[in-house]
Amino acid sequence: MSVSELKERHVAASETVNNLRERLKQKRLLLLDTDVAGYARSQGRTPITFGPTDLVCCRTLQGHTGKVYSLDWTTERNRIVSASQDGRLIVWNALTSQKTHAIKLPCAWVMTCAFSPSGQSVACGGLDSVCSIFNLNSPTERDGNLPVAKMLSGHKGYVSCCQYVPDEDTHLITSSGDQTCVLWDISTGLRTSVFGGEFQSGHTADVLSVSISGSNSRMFVSGSCDATARLWDTRVASRAVRTFHGHEGDVNTVKFFPDGNRFGTGSDDGTCRLYDIRTGHQLQVYYQQHGDNEVPTVTSIAFSISGRLLFAGYSNGDCYVWDTLLAKVVLNLGSLQNSHEGRISCLGLSADGSALCTGSWDTNLKIWAFGGHRRVI
Amino acid sequence: MAVPPGGGSGVPSLPPPCPKSPPEYPDLYGKRRGMAKVQLLEREIGFLEEEVKSVQALQPASKCCKEPDPLIPTKHKKHRRSCRFWKWLCGLPCFSLSWICCCCHSQCSCQVKCPQCPRCSDCLKCPQCPRCFQCPKCPKCPKCPRCCDCNCDCGCHCNICSCKSCFSCPRVKCGWPQCCCSCACPSLPSCCCRKISCSWKCCSFRLPSCPDCSSCCRWGCSCPKCPKPKVRLCCSCKQLCCNPCCLFF
Repeated sequence: MSVSELKERHVAASETVNNLRERLKQKRLLLLDTDVAGYARSQGRTPITFGPTDLVCCRTLQGHTGKVYSLDWTTERNRIVSASQDGRLIVWNALTSQKTHAIKLPCAWVMTCAFSPSGQSVACGGLDSVCSIFNLNSPTERDGNLPVAKMLSGHKGYVSCCQYVPDEDTHLITSSGDQTCVLWDISTGLRTSVFGGEFQSGHTADVLSVSISGSNSRMFVSGSCDATARLWDTRVASRAVRTFHGHEGDVNTVKFFPDGNRFGTGSDDGTCRLYDIRTGHQLQVYYQQHGDNEVPTVTSIAFSISGRLLFAGYSNGDCYVWDTLLAKVVLNLGSLQNSHEGRISCLGLSADGSALCTGSWDTNLKIWAFGGHRRVI
Repeated sequence: MAVPPGGGSGVPSLPPPCPKSPPEYPDLYGKRRGMAKVQLLEREIGFLEEEVKSVQALQPASKCCKEPDPLIPTKHKKHRRSCRFWKWLCGLPCFSLSWICCCCHSQCSCQVKCPQCPRCSDCLKCPQCPRCFQCPKCPKCPKCPRCCDCNCDCGCHCNICSCKSCFSCPRVKCGWPQCCCSCACPSLPSCCCRKISCSWKCCSFRLPSCPDCSSCCRWGCSCPKCPKPKVRLCCSCKQLCCNPCCLFF
């Protein structure tokens, strides 16, 4: 086949792909006869109400000297690891606000961090394209720094997000600017599977976020600058199980819903969305109209334990608490006393769901918990 | 050697240089890449056609919403203790919680023990030991605003405020006029913040609330760039070290 024939085939195939995508989009729109909020209203459900003292900032964790980019809670013991532009990971005891570790990183440009399920290790990654693992129980070196226990090398772009596979200290998944996600075997330091890539069916732009299902650890979702989220099965790396369209900008953050059948996304288009992994339906859009021309982007999201609340951090410092059922903002942590003074870059819920931690470009982390007698949900 | 025009000695002149074009190599790499991209697109067409067929069999969103409502609060029985702690914590009018020991009813689980728990007997990883720092009993130097250049070896791994010249025991009779950290009380645990349990009365000082970060700074900054031996340490203190690379706890 000549080069010109090849080019013609390429053009024809691209056109067919675009037509099929448009057909799919139209068919899905026809199936969206309602959304979660519309259905809930028709059932007479009432929104949750929050009083001014129901959720309060009970701790401010100060110590970073640069923007906080990422945080993660342990699965127990209420410890938090945070990563900052100052090139350090700090491990905090969230209950006492004490710092238990300050890890100076080999590469200061860190973007993500995660606690291992056992709480004994932390992982981080960033512009060095490497995911580094630190064992918190290791003795420090002569300069007082904690040594790197393992370096996971192989990505051809920055590491944007990392998460340990639930209940497995030896496996984690990373997302990268090289358009791939990778499942790593930490004990060998090797890649078990690569999801997407240049000649694989996958994301067509930088991947910014991953979330592994808590109910089925073989499933994870990824969000990308190609404005899609994709569902993957770790046993099938050759293609995504499903691709979720709808967003009109980079998908910065993805998080599985507690039941594992849905997941939420947050995007540069200023919306959060809820998708069903079984049908592919976009169940709900969470968007608050702004008077300004500039729409704040969604940087991070988390669900409450039941899923009734969706916490979303925004680039303008707001942190909305959404009633996921009725798609209403019930509280804005950014308007409360003692709130952050800058962009909310990351947030996460404690394992028992009783406290929310937010990280910000103002260099602080804050812990929010219920101040009243409201039943924790 | 130049040959004058029109003249010559009969030496034949060389033809002007005429370099040849490089041979045309087959662009195998580019063609193979192109073929791979086409195959990828054709594979994508297959996936999309499958999806179009499966979408035709899908139920509308309203039917999905009629499923048992997952957005129902569920009771979680795990971690009740920390859950109660967070709720109680937020009910306090003042978050100055220096007198709280979060886990003195049981063995301390955190790697660094409770900041104010005098019963925690092990002082681990002293450079990060918060207990010595926030211990309400730790004496504050009345004379020296900075304890961070203290060189007193109190036997504790924590470089807490134990400067010999920094504070003096108000009780002259205690025999330790300058450094209570040198308390030789046999019952004294290794960390001098536990002097509260010492039988030497002079050791029972209370740490007033820190009005100034520098008065509770414990460690001298070892950063060679830091012009002053002063660091930001206090977890709740807002003052910063002059040098951002100095970050100690």
